[in-house]
Amino acid sequence: MTVTQHPRFVDLDRCIACGTCAEKCPKKANDSYNENLVKRKAIYVPYSQTVPLKYAIDPENCIYFAKGKCKACEKFCPAGAINFNDAEKEITLQVGSIILAPGFKSFDPSSYDTYSYTNLPNVVTAIEFERILSATGPFMGHLVRPSDNKEPNKIAWFQCIGSRDINLCDHGYCSSVCCMYAIKQTLIAKEHSGIPIDCAVFYMDMRTHGKDFDRYYENAQKSGVRFIRSRIHSLSQIAGTDDLLVRYATEDGTLEQEIFDMVVLSTGLEIDKSIIELAARLGIKLDNDNFSLTDTFHPVATSVPGIYACGAFSGPKDIPSSVTEASAAACAATEHLAPVRFTRTKSLDLPPEKDVTREAPRIGVFVCNCGINIGGVIKVPEVVEYARTLPNVAYVEENLFTCSQDTQEKITEVIKDKGLNRVVVAACSPRTHESLFQETLINAGLNKYLVEMANIRNQDSWVHSEDPDAATEKAKDLVRMAVAKTALLTPLRETDLNNIRSALVLGGGVAGMTAALSLARHGYPVHLVEKSEALGGNALRLYKTHKGEAVASYVQGLVRAVESEKLITVHLDSIVTNVDGFVGNFKTDLSHGSSREVIEHGVAILAVGAKEYEPKEYLYGEHDAVMTHLELDYLFLHNDTRLDGVKNVAFIQCVGSRNQENPYCSKVCCSHSLVSALELKRRKKDINVYIFYRDIRTYGKREILYREAREKGVLFFRYSLDEKPVVSPNGDRVQIVFRDPVLDRRLAVNADILCLATAIISHRDQSLAQLFKVPLDMDGWLLEAHQKLRPVDFPNDGIFLCGMAHYPKPIDESIAQAKAAASRALTILAKEKIKVGGIVSRIVPELCSGCFGCVNVCPYGAITFDYDKQIAVVNEALCKGCGACAATCPSEAVILMGFDKEELYAQITSALSA
Amino acid sequence: MEKKDDSKELEGAVAVIGGGIAGMQTALDLANSGYYVYLVEKTAGIGGVMAQLDKTFPTNDCSM
Amino acid sequence: MKTIEFEPKIIAFVCNWCAYGAADLAGVSRLQYPPNIRLIRIMCSATVSPHFILKAFQSGADGVLVGG
Repeated sequence: MTVTQHPRFVDLDRCIACGTCAEKCPKKANDSYNENLVKRKAIYVPYSQTVPLKYAIDPENCIYFAKGKCKACEKFCPAGAINFNDAEKEITLQVGSIILAPGFKSFDPSSYDTYSYTNLPNVVTAIEFERILSATGPFMGHLVRPSDNKEPNKIAWFQCIGSRDINLCDHGYCSSVCCMYAIKQTLIAKEHSGIPIDCAVFYMDMRTHGKDFDRYYENAQKSGVRFIRSRIHSLSQIAGTDDLLVRYATEDGTLEQEIFDMVVLSTGLEIDKSIIELAARLGIKLDNDNFSLTDTFHPVATSVPGIYACGAFSGPKDIPSSVTEASAAACAATEHLAPVRFTRTKSLDLPPEKDVTREAPRIGVFVCNCGINIGGVIKVPEVVEYARTLPNVAYVEENLFTCSQDTQEKITEVIKDKGLNRVVVAACSPRTHESLFQETLINAGLNKYLVEMANIRNQDSWVHSEDPDAATEKAKDLVRMAVAKTALLTPLRETDLNNIRSALVLGGGVAGMTAALSLARHGYPVHLVEKSEALGGNALRLYKTHKGEAVASYVQGLVRAVESEKLITVHLDSIVTNVDGFVGNFKTDLSHGSSREVIEHGVAILAVGAKEYEPKEYLYGEHDAVMTHLELDYLFLHNDTRLDGVKNVAFIQCVGSRNQENPYCSKVCCSHSLVSALELKRRKKDINVYIFYRDIRTYGKREILYREAREKGVLFFRYSLDEKPVVSPNGDRVQIVFRDPVLDRRLAVNADILCLATAIISHRDQSLAQLFKVPLDMDGWLLEAHQKLRPVDFPNDGIFLCGMAHYPKPIDESIAQAKAAASRALTILAKEKIKVGGIVSRIVPELCSGCFGCVNVCPYGAITFDYDKQIAVVNEALCKGCGACAATCPSEAVILMGFDKEELYAQITSALSA
Repeated sequence: MEKKDDSKELEGAVAVIGGGIAGMQTALDLANSGYYVYLVEKTAGIGGVMAQLDKTFPTNDCSM
Repeated sequence: MKTIEFEPKIIAFVCNWCAYGAADLAGVSRLQYPPNIRLIRIMCSATVSPHFILKAFQSGADGVLVGG
């Protein structure tokens, strides 16, 4: 493939991101990171945490490119990094697969006259509001409205701007994320604001269908956020003020009005024109809304073999789903590349490590000027001279740029020539540069933990630029503190443990089978454990997906693929009775009837699924006309004669969901009811279908079902929790009495079939959670390490989750999650050895009194008690180096390596010894 | 098409187009499981839309 | 009458993952603050035992900040 690289006009190797260029640049340009609410310079970094943290010139705004002169940046750049001759490059890449993650564009509401976005300054988009809330935004996180910088008392959110609308914006889909982000923004706005603030959300259906979303929604209601089911009629500015008059129609058709200080448009997600063009160049088929066309069973594949898609490109989705799909795409894109794993990666040739433990400390101190960033404020030569006077210092040097490549080579030489055994670098932050200097030490044959940094830039010259003398004194203190600690540093060991390169997958449903197959296709043996007598799980009982694909036949194919895969050993009728060990070295006991088996594996994937709620309400189990979704699917699957004479079918949504017992949305039931309703209509046009709902949550592309159902004459009646439909027997039929909120009248229908959209509930498997030492949430779902960024990981390494054990979800999401769990597992299976050690805790056995303090305080379960020796023992593979144990131990028996008490005491006393 | 010895033509590298949260995660997983990654981003730095967000549900963590 | 201005010496224990990063960002944003504070980087605020705080006071600190 060929890639065009645009010129940056800044040399990445030379730029030190000091910001002098931007300070001197005379040209201001719109700051797109801040949604153009503020200006940046024509030479800029997109935002201060980006990678690479290097400047770039925006040629469209640069004066030199417009008028042929200026070059202020070049003149002032201390590193000589500016290159106006930089040119566009064509780069040819040899790759085995391509993954597209081009993202989305926030919908531009300019075309809606109703919302006057272009001419009313206090009407902002949601992404603009994010920037307004942000500490790095246009108002430094101070919540004010743009027109007059007044703190708003009342803010309104308008939902579905650029979503669920085929008249103005031609986006029939639901953008999936706006309901949640609007709720979040109301709560953050309340938190940020200096004054009490009234937040109102104008919406059609609140779609809080994800894990813990409904709880968050309820919390917002409890904290006073008003949610108003309505359609917006108009928005106008009140003459003589910057305030906004909102007119809206409530559900019963009444026109109301209210004044707000500010309106946030909850804009949807759409695909950018440039992405549509990219797709055309690659020959990728897009759907009617320009999202990548995918099928339910291959959620990260595109229409072109070898090209994969993830994130919002294949449909509007939130961060956890994007992260999940990203991992899934990594897994899917490399299934055929398993034979060439590690053929293109590079490995380093490293010198042997010198043993310095018996040598007296000989510290080398390297003081950086960072161009003028440090040298312009701090008197670096004075710091250098001061460093020479410190104990254990054998060598001191001043550098213009300590981080430059040539300086690394020089440091390596100096370490060898002068026999240095420890290094202090007085420069910028260890957070950005420690790994670089650690690498330099490795190249010089020293243990990488023998370097310490004194942060004399970010935490000194930059923050005390107005007081050079004090900054210089502080730099001396920081160097002295670093030298004091460094003298005490000991080499830290990282040891290699054996990695058992095979997996245990628990659960033989779609998620478990998908994960097992993916791992096997990557070449790793898998033990697939299923507690029932057959593979397949819940999906075998489903009729069709929301895209109309038959489910059961796909699942049967999946079962056959698993059974014929040589690397997969299937254990049916089996349960786990014990789990020992840690990442790379698990030992799990399986019990199958009376026989037992011990499996050794390096990773585990928990895909134990969930189950359908058994209703206690609406005559379920008492009247034959009342059934669940899976029971109706059974009738469809078998073309049951019971469907023949049916005239009226009713669905009641949220049966067992969104109530006190199960305060969450089961996510799939709205779509399932609509798929069934449409199937009924397809089979018999004149059939009457009634759906009783609370909010229709056909998120993303599923919204098409909702539109189609209304077009086909399916009738929808909203009910509230105070007045649920009442079901009573009426011969072979049941009668449903309900209140129609539009007419505000009680009505009744008779149904031949009443399908209850039953909840999906967790197995609430405490014993499984205890065996694998993984957490469950309040509703009994497996709880991931981080709900946004680590959606299939657990806090403990080597164990992953997928499928409905995590939360109710449709098949495409289960498959994506299963592949994601496999992908995360592959990052471990690919390693020959598991590295442990470094910054971890050690316990001095002689000092341990066996009080259990550390065992109880460790958040990672890394400390166990050895009852024979009566002492606590750290498992280095599990320890994350937080030091909670060391702080807790009353006997000071625990040492946190690299941050032990002597080292910290040395820093404390030397900080105060000036 | 005739069947060839595929492995000779396979490349152990993957191109990822887009440096937002999805692109970064896929790149990290690929690199950590033994593939060389080319991460292609059209702007001057990676991070994407998530870097513009103030805080995220449910922990109200900062998006950075 | 001559007065001696009191300038406190403050020791701060800051978590590598948050407060230390925030202090770095303060630098990037060129925020100015008094130079009386000395930061000690730790890997997690859980590391800070009361001993460290007492040691700081014992060694002459006027204030201790734990940021995590």
